[in-house]
Amino acid sequence: MSKKNALECCKNIRKKILFSIYHARSGHVGPSLSSVELIYSILKFGINYKKINRNKFILSKGHAAPAFYAALDEFNLLKKNELKTLRKVNSRLQGHPDKKKLNHVDSGTGALGQGLSISIGYYLGSKLLNKKNKIFCLLGDGEIQEGQIWESAMYIGAHKIKDIIVFIDGNKFQNERSISETLPEKNLLEKWNSFGFKTTKINGHSLQALSKVIKGFLQNQNKKPLLVYCDTIKGKGISFMENNNKFHSVKDLSEENYKKAISELS
Amino acid sequence: MTLSIREAFGKELVKIGKKNKKIVAVSCDLKDACKLSFFFNKFPKRSFEIGIAEANAVGIAAGLSMSGFRPFLASFASFITGKNVEIRTSISYNKCGVVIVGTHGGLIGPDGATQSSVQDVAVMRSLPYFEIFQPSTPNETKQIINYTAKNKKPTYLRIARNEVIEFLPKNYKFKAGTPSIIYKGKNNLVISSGPILANCFAAVKKIKKNIGILNLSSLKPLDEKHMVRILKKYKNIITVEDHSIIGGLGSIIAEICAKNKLNKNLKIHGIKDDFVDSDTPSSLEKFYKLDIKSLEKIFKKFFKI
Repeated sequence: MSKKNALECCKNIRKKILFSIYHARSGHVGPSLSSVELIYSILKFGINYKKINRNKFILSKGHAAPAFYAALDEFNLLKKNELKTLRKVNSRLQGHPDKKKLNHVDSGTGALGQGLSISIGYYLGSKLLNKKNKIFCLLGDGEIQEGQIWESAMYIGAHKIKDIIVFIDGNKFQNERSISETLPEKNLLEKWNSFGFKTTKINGHSLQALSKVIKGFLQNQNKKPLLVYCDTIKGKGISFMENNNKFHSVKDLSEENYKKAISELS
Repeated sequence: MTLSIREAFGKELVKIGKKNKKIVAVSCDLKDACKLSFFFNKFPKRSFEIGIAEANAVGIAAGLSMSGFRPFLASFASFITGKNVEIRTSISYNKCGVVIVGTHGGLIGPDGATQSSVQDVAVMRSLPYFEIFQPSTPNETKQIINYTAKNKKPTYLRIARNEVIEFLPKNYKFKAGTPSIIYKGKNNLVISSGPILANCFAAVKKIKKNIGILNLSSLKPLDEKHMVRILKKYKNIITVEDHSIIGGLGSIIAEICAKNKLNKNLKIHGIKDDFVDSDTPSSLEKFYKLDIKSLEKIFKKFFKI
């Protein structure tokens, strides 16, 4: 797929996020929009849902479910019109990912902080089975305030686990306020380094940077556990949502705002 | 012959592990106390020491289970069942087959309140898909471990550290969901499970009257129709547990009585809504009136014998 097509796909994913949240009348729009390129690249290069024995993707920041569903739809993995059922009873597209309902979900998430531990479990399972599966784990930058993240980071570092790639969607905001107003991240990458990780910081909206880092990981280029801090913009792509935490989670996306947002993408 | 229930658990898991390669062990720096160390020694590659990080261990066990393994995650009941949101999201919500083994439930001794779990059944009962078992003797422990090793459901095992005599009949067969009558008795029934059942058994034997005893080792699932048929036969029913009277075995019976409009004289005997003190297990049993002598008195009074 050419670069232009990939850009087009991400634009479509953004439209689909807005579409599904507009129909659901609620949902985490800002943190979904910040992770579009990340999720798109992970699914495109890392996960082949048609294979039984495949790599895993743990969306630890489960509230970005609309971005995950929209990406699945973009890869033709959902049913026609299914995005309209987001956050409805009997839908496979629950407010936060539900593994019991949707096969593509490798773990249900939603209570923050747990996805990295689950990634370790998948890694250990794959190792016991002598398979060489890779695990992709996506964390939010607010999410890493959870202590369990550091329990799992300590374990990964101590055991030098190189088959898990950890992404942080660094959109600088959390539920209520900015990260810096809540618990400023001081020397974040140094912290991960000290736990035994190799850290890199990239532009989380750059498809080129993301594909480079993912391909390197898949080719076992990293000599240490890998943490990729992705500099992103919350609400990316929609001018009035960017860095505007009112759009962290919308109660009701007005028709006016929805249309305005879609027109910005068209 | 006495054998501690946790020891029976540890040894049986090794036996099962020889044949069933899907069994793996996850520890949080308490494998010796939980007797998971037997498995660790025998199968080091299938054993994972996570360190003092129970939340991480819950997630890792969930990931192992979703990779097709049957992890036994053991720790003190109070520590591991205290990780409610982790168990709820990573195990229960994923409906994945982790067996959580909580040892040191009940009156464990001088370590005191923080290590003694008297809330674990209440906490675990409310989590969807979980099966909950509390074996009462070493033989029953073996049977329950074999049952859980075979199925794929999220499971909580409440494994006591106590040494218990093998008082169940030799031909005793554990069946998940089915309560088991040990003595039939008449009008009066004692319901319990775990090591405290042995005390109930001894107390009833001393009274030498026609008192029934029921072993409720399968706390969830529970065949309600079967249970109702049993309860209907008795007038006075007392439940006994080394657990809070809120949300445990007594609550299960009270819920069934209420739901099925069974008008019974029901007493729930257990730990009042409080933490328990430090002391030797036998002193604690006396203090909380769960020893043989106290139970004898309580039964006599309640059954008006």
